[in-house]
Amino acid sequence: MGVVVEVVGGETREIGIETPTAADLLRAVDVSPHEATVLAEGRPVPDDAVIDADRVQVLRLVTGG
Amino acid sequence: MECDRCSRPAVHFAAYSGGHLCERHLRRSVEKRVRRRIRSDGLIGRDATPENPETWLIGLSGGKDSVVLTQVLHETFADDPRIRLVCLTIHEGIEGYRDASLDASIELVEKLEIEHERLSYAEEFDLEMDDVARDDPEGMAPCAYCGVFRRNLLERGARKYDADKLLTGHNLDDETQTALMNLFEGDVRQVAKHFDASLGGFDERGESETFVPRAKPLRDVPEKEVALYAHLRDLPVHMAECPHASEAYRGEIKDLLLGLEENHPGTRHSILSGYEDLAALAAREYRRDGEEGADSNDAADDSHDGLGECERCGAATTREVCRKCQLVESVHAAD
Repeated sequence: MGVVVEVVGGETREIGIETPTAADLLRAVDVSPHEATVLAEGRPVPDDAVIDADRVQVLRLVTGG
Repeated sequence: MECDRCSRPAVHFAAYSGGHLCERHLRRSVEKRVRRRIRSDGLIGRDATPENPETWLIGLSGGKDSVVLTQVLHETFADDPRIRLVCLTIHEGIEGYRDASLDASIELVEKLEIEHERLSYAEEFDLEMDDVARDDPEGMAPCAYCGVFRRNLLERGARKYDADKLLTGHNLDDETQTALMNLFEGDVRQVAKHFDASLGGFDERGESETFVPRAKPLRDVPEKEVALYAHLRDLPVHMAECPHASEAYRGEIKDLLLGLEENHPGTRHSILSGYEDLAALAAREYRRDGEEGADSNDAADDSHDGLGECERCGAATTREVCRKCQLVESVHAAD
């Protein structure tokens, strides 16, 4: 079973990567880890953390300036 | 996964340092880097006293960078009688974009009780960027017009509000992009100007009475960390992209840098660090050339770099009519 990834303000996809890190999930939805963060239960997760949740959100942090 | 400095859950991994930080320590880390940069740049003038404070004008767009800069500066200097903070927001006339970011700016300055001034292209130049982008009389990207207009108003605002220094929220990514663009364009004189205008410590810059000195205290902090800081503190930030954004070359450089950073963490830091050293050398060399030229020519022009005044608006320029006035004329001719 994969992880359901909801891009805030965008699409929701199920990603079927075995024991993904947060950065793996970001790349899987075509977002640079330098421009977004994964939220698990609403809290940011480090890019190298292995995700064991069934569902996470992706929050884009970098647009405009 | 725990913070390296305490047992709280980490919210961020900085690959360039190998560090994991919790919310509290990420906040402290960002603030520490800003304050360290303020010290190392010698931003607080030696003449600043409670009786004669320095005025720092902050360019506040309402985006994450300028909002974080304003918040950190306020918390650092609100009780320091040597420093007076004033925010300036420039309204370019971009419907649905700048109005929302102005709201974010107003929310922040009202919460922090900071003086807030506003200037607009409509009032100052009798034009709006939506119209400029549509008519495009010079066949340029909208950012090319907007950058000229914005720099002119920041400078004008700094003089109007009696600012000693002009502070902007450029982060590590912004400055590294600019550094690479200058190097890739082979423009060493521009590298030297960059140092004297905003990059060098205040003790190391060449003196200019023409422009209000600028500083970028956020430039050691990667863009993602600035954004995370704003998110974690729930600061009022406007997160939309300008609808006219079109800096294609900068976009290419940005993608290149992020790719390098993925494969070689720390690339942005090392590029900017080396660029600052090179820029200092270039600035010193051009200044020395200028002094030698002055020694060998009694009639040397005392207007540094051949700068004079625009015959229309009085702004500093190497031409008879400054670039801003040329563009304003061109836009109005196309009306």
